[in-house]
Amino acid sequence: MAGDAVVRHVVVFGRVLREAGLEVGPGRVADALRALDSIDLDRHEDVYWALRQTLVARREDLESFDLAFDAWFLGAAAPRPSRVQDRPRPTGTRRKGGVPGPGPELDGGEQESGGWSADELLRSKDFAAMTHEEFVRARRLIARIAVSRPQRSTRRLRRDRKGTVLDVRSLARRSLATGGDPAVRAFRSRGEAPRKLVLILDISGSMEAYARALLLYLHAARGSGRAVETFAFGTRLTRLTRELATRDPEAALAAASKRVVDWSGGTRIGPSLKEYNDEWGRRALTRGAVVVLLSDGCERGDPAQIDAELARLARQAFAVVWVNPLKGDAAYEPLAGGMRAALPHVDRFLPGHDVASLEALGRVLGGIERRHAA
Amino acid sequence: MAFGSIDELEAALAERSYLADRGLATALYLALKLEKPLLLEGEAGVGKTEAAKSIAAALGAPVIRLQCYEGLDVASAVYEWNYARQLLHIRAAQDGTLHEADLFGREFLIRRPLLEAIESDVPVLLLIDEVDRADEEFEAFLLEVLSEFQITVPELGTITAKQRPYVILTSNRTRELHDALKRRCLYHWIGHPSVEREIEIVRLRVPGVPDRLAAEAARFAAELRSLDLQKPPGLAETIDWVRALTALGQQELDVENIQATLGSMLKYHEDLLSLRDDVLAGLVAGVRGG
Repeated sequence: MAGDAVVRHVVVFGRVLREAGLEVGPGRVADALRALDSIDLDRHEDVYWALRQTLVARREDLESFDLAFDAWFLGAAAPRPSRVQDRPRPTGTRRKGGVPGPGPELDGGEQESGGWSADELLRSKDFAAMTHEEFVRARRLIARIAVSRPQRSTRRLRRDRKGTVLDVRSLARRSLATGGDPAVRAFRSRGEAPRKLVLILDISGSMEAYARALLLYLHAARGSGRAVETFAFGTRLTRLTRELATRDPEAALAAASKRVVDWSGGTRIGPSLKEYNDEWGRRALTRGAVVVLLSDGCERGDPAQIDAELARLARQAFAVVWVNPLKGDAAYEPLAGGMRAALPHVDRFLPGHDVASLEALGRVLGGIERRHAA
Repeated sequence: MAFGSIDELEAALAERSYLADRGLATALYLALKLEKPLLLEGEAGVGKTEAAKSIAAALGAPVIRLQCYEGLDVASAVYEWNYARQLLHIRAAQDGTLHEADLFGREFLIRRPLLEAIESDVPVLLLIDEVDRADEEFEAFLLEVLSEFQITVPELGTITAKQRPYVILTSNRTRELHDALKRRCLYHWIGHPSVEREIEIVRLRVPGVPDRLAAEAARFAAELRSLDLQKPPGLAETIDWVRALTALGQQELDVENIQATLGSMLKYHEDLLSLRDDVLAGLVAGVRGG
């Protein structure tokens, strides 16, 4: 029987886990108590498993749980609030001073652009050149961008008079009136659902001027329906889907920047793509998806890895789109090693430096077709 | 409740040639004891489905399996009406004597896995395999079934389970499942087994395997998993591989027999290429020295 002491222990432990970022509701704590009731409390290993299986529901949380468990029940060092913060900060790269607030500061200069400018003008203004006030207005525009997605046909059949598959259920019902003769026929056809959309945003130092605006775009893209996954990377990859799930763009931005460790650190596109492929591609996230990479393609490491990893990604994806803010400049040529290595695997190469180009991106995604066999 | 303790359950599984580690045994035990569905996650090939089948065998419960896929719908997961039979029935009946309700009786119902599990007179083990592959709409439906253990057929009314089935869900984590569904379940992550356990499992699952071969193969598998591969081999791959080697009459590992059979371990062309001759020779020397 779990005595009062144990109950109190588990309740407080649940609170410790919540501090560490796990979602532990009262239902889970109740389950944990019932589980402890069913096992031999002297067997430390069983206590560990019983608590883990009732209090944790995600693989990502296992590490935090282990730390907290060790600290709480074995009296090891106090748990750290979140293991994201344990990651070594990138060294030797440019950082903005101060705590990573809600995204990199936009320092497009403090000069006033002179009074009111219409949304139309703002739509074609480079994010990097915007003042703070302009950006505040631009973010409203970004939040309203409709992201359209290509459709895939589903296996589920829907009622459709012009369909080709006989709707036998309806046929049987209607045949009652005619003594079993199928006089009135009903048909079904395959339905359609939006394809998976995967957005991977580069938030490294060289992307600083654009990262915040593009992150808002990622948030807007979530409004296009289900099956949207979002990631950010600088020196390493972070999944943002959960953080961007909230409706309020400000709150989403704040939550996302808490998760991302290396705002404006160095760029490691190749290793980050590899991390994506290993962790998410292997789990078939890429298969049949439209994958959008938002990056300037400035790679510090070996471009050969970008070549290899992007090839791997492109083989599974429905289509690969690369959005590069630098492309907004008419004089831009993709000469940087990383960008050159990437282009052969990319189906569409687009700019993403202002609101208008992001709106255009939505239209391109809606009409995109399956990539040619590489 | 069939098992008095975790140890008893462990022993019952071992009798069915399934070696569960303490964590998995605890998860299965608690799922039975707390009467909650168990969600098993882990890399492909670590034995999730196998675990479900083995515990069913140990419980003496039949397994009803629902394999999920994109587009899985009610007609293939829950029930469907037998239209051919309905039409024949209309034909055979006299004009005007047949009412619609006659057509939608239980004799015209085709039971699919979920309904079958709910209607069963004996407790069954309902295995919902690769639930992450099903659409989110279906997941919501599943949540309903798993919380009430009842299914509504519009023409017949609500059917409630006579015997609550044991439920095991597996997921390869191609996407995150709904929190609501997870809240209903106990959760266990199955990792790759330790080398000692893998040796034990291989010896149990591949009758006639030479001891030395089993040990070397398990160590070799662990080495492969520590390499940077696109698809590290799971336990299922090791078992297949050792089966192949045993069938070929091999007593131990060497570079030649590995090269001839490595296709059962590494399923990607890039992974096979990345294992160059010198790397392979080094690995072989390592596992044989141990």
